[in-house]
Amino acid sequence: MSARHILQAGNTLDQEGGRSLHDAFSALHLKRGDEVFIDLAAAETMDSLGGAWLSRIVQEAARRHASVAFGNAQSQVAEFLEVISPALRAAPEKPRTEPGLLESIGDATIRFISESREFLNLCVDALYWTVIAPFEGRGFRFNEFLDEVYEMGVRAVRIVCLMNFLVGLIIAMLSAKQVESFGLQIYVANLIMIAFARELAAVMTAVVVSARTGAAIAAEIATMEVQEEIDALRGMGINTAQYLVAPKLLGLVVALPCLTVLGMVFGVLGGALWGIVVLGFRPSIWYQQTLGAADMNDIIQGMLKSFFFAIAIALIGCHNGFRVTGGSRGVGRMTTRAVVMDVFSLVLIDMVFATFFYYIFKQGVPGQP
Amino acid sequence: MNLAENQRRDRVIAEDAPAIIEVRDLVTHYGEVKVLDGVSFSVRRGEVFTIIGGSGCGKTTLLKHMCGLLRPSSGSIIFQGRDMAAMDEEELAGMQRQIGIAFQSSGLFNSMTVGDNVAMPLREYGNVDPRLIEPIARLKLSLVGLAHAYHYMPSDLSGGMKKRAGLARAIATDPELVYFDEPSAGLDPIMAAGLDNLVLKLNRLLGTTFVIVTHELDSIRLIADRILMLDRGRVIFLGTVEEAERCSVDRVRQFFERRPDEYIEQRAAE
Repeated sequence: MSARHILQAGNTLDQEGGRSLHDAFSALHLKRGDEVFIDLAAAETMDSLGGAWLSRIVQEAARRHASVAFGNAQSQVAEFLEVISPALRAAPEKPRTEPGLLESIGDATIRFISESREFLNLCVDALYWTVIAPFEGRGFRFNEFLDEVYEMGVRAVRIVCLMNFLVGLIIAMLSAKQVESFGLQIYVANLIMIAFARELAAVMTAVVVSARTGAAIAAEIATMEVQEEIDALRGMGINTAQYLVAPKLLGLVVALPCLTVLGMVFGVLGGALWGIVVLGFRPSIWYQQTLGAADMNDIIQGMLKSFFFAIAIALIGCHNGFRVTGGSRGVGRMTTRAVVMDVFSLVLIDMVFATFFYYIFKQGVPGQP
Repeated sequence: MNLAENQRRDRVIAEDAPAIIEVRDLVTHYGEVKVLDGVSFSVRRGEVFTIIGGSGCGKTTLLKHMCGLLRPSSGSIIFQGRDMAAMDEEELAGMQRQIGIAFQSSGLFNSMTVGDNVAMPLREYGNVDPRLIEPIARLKLSLVGLAHAYHYMPSDLSGGMKKRAGLARAIATDPELVYFDEPSAGLDPIMAAGLDNLVLKLNRLLGTTFVIVTHELDSIRLIADRILMLDRGRVIFLGTVEEAERCSVDRVRQFFERRPDEYIEQRAAE
């Protein structure tokens, strides 16, 4: 049998008045289905803290499966209650945020398929506007392309050189120690040369560029999307792939292989510094050994990789930028995602190349062509 | 409309009502350009005070000075008996907590739900019983007609809803003084009228003093107790709506009669 409890409000329903009403409510022994009637006849004024206490009482009553009614409110209090009436209803359950297992798998699959389709569309668009459209006389933003080469290439020269130089130094340091007991330290020059020509210069440079340029591309396009600049472009009938993607893609395809060549040179210099200064080889000997270690094929292999790395970094940056939702937070999320996807794709491409060269050209072991 | 007009008539702010904030001889520069030039006025407790003027006349700059976001070149801003222009950062932060600001583009935090946005100042200031934070946020959202949007993200809201949510956050801590920058800019007339009524409702129910920057004539006629008009950084009019409509200053007449700049040139020629 449900009961009806009556509470009397004081003459002011403010912080204190509301709290004493709440205390009185908390002291009630409520059973499922009980009703609490709050008599506001004595209340002359109320403020929002008083209102918040009333709202709190309603929510707590709902949790205890009881209901609350207000009555006899006068003038200002009645008007206030009417205005805040939505807050005086039991709050709906917080929307369910955790989907079930099947739902998650289904969601993830659908998201993956739709994202893959978007990425493919972007690739086709970018390819067309970068490679085909300029020859059809449909325009290419040459000045923007030059700007991008400067921004992505020239301005990254110092950090790329420094990184590769230091990595060359470290590899020389580590490998010299390993071969010391065999007296084969001169072969460190071979190792450094082969490693940088085929692998390290391309990968290290691409990692630096994806952190620097990949993130910048994603953040720039995402911010444009959030601020409706992308919509403005589309609204003007301008193709975003032509306007934004093509100059960046071609810019990076030109800049990254150039940076990779610099990376090779500085990586080898880093190794040479250790070989000459610490291991004590004569510069001419180290130089001859280095030159004899690799041929043009090795260098081309590294350059070819950097070409594909450039395509991946530019397209992944653009793709993530266009996919942004939800304002500044979304921009941050997409930038992070772009860098993570960049680095992962670098490793993936590198693995494909390694496998390819190992089985097709039998170049897995340096010095055994 | 009638309802709102009736509400206006039965409440007149006395001329000798105490000032809640007072601006004295405010001068400010952006580089070489003088943006505000000797601006002086005071806002009475409990009134709806509007600042009007053409684009680029210094309205928003004035508002930013009045909440301490910008520091003046000279002059003072007296709030609660103390000069905000002469305070250090810490004191100023204490003062700013007593002023609610609703920004033109709402200024909601995109990473939080609407409810958390409103609850944020209550949580940060830490002077409210923690049990009350969620009820207060719900109540303020109810006041602005957004009770249903508690769990929404700001990106799910329309322009008008964002403004109302921004206002709910501005009044979250029950400040005596609320600044509202361009409440109706970019809104449809229905939404704009809704915001006008909201301002009147909050002013009446909570006794909040509003300082509103706007250039919507309909809105000014409906809600303003007094109007301050700026032109090229100077005060050219201060008074009630009726006084403004009767004012003989060319710029004021031009504004209220919605005439283009040729009108002034024509009058000057006469």
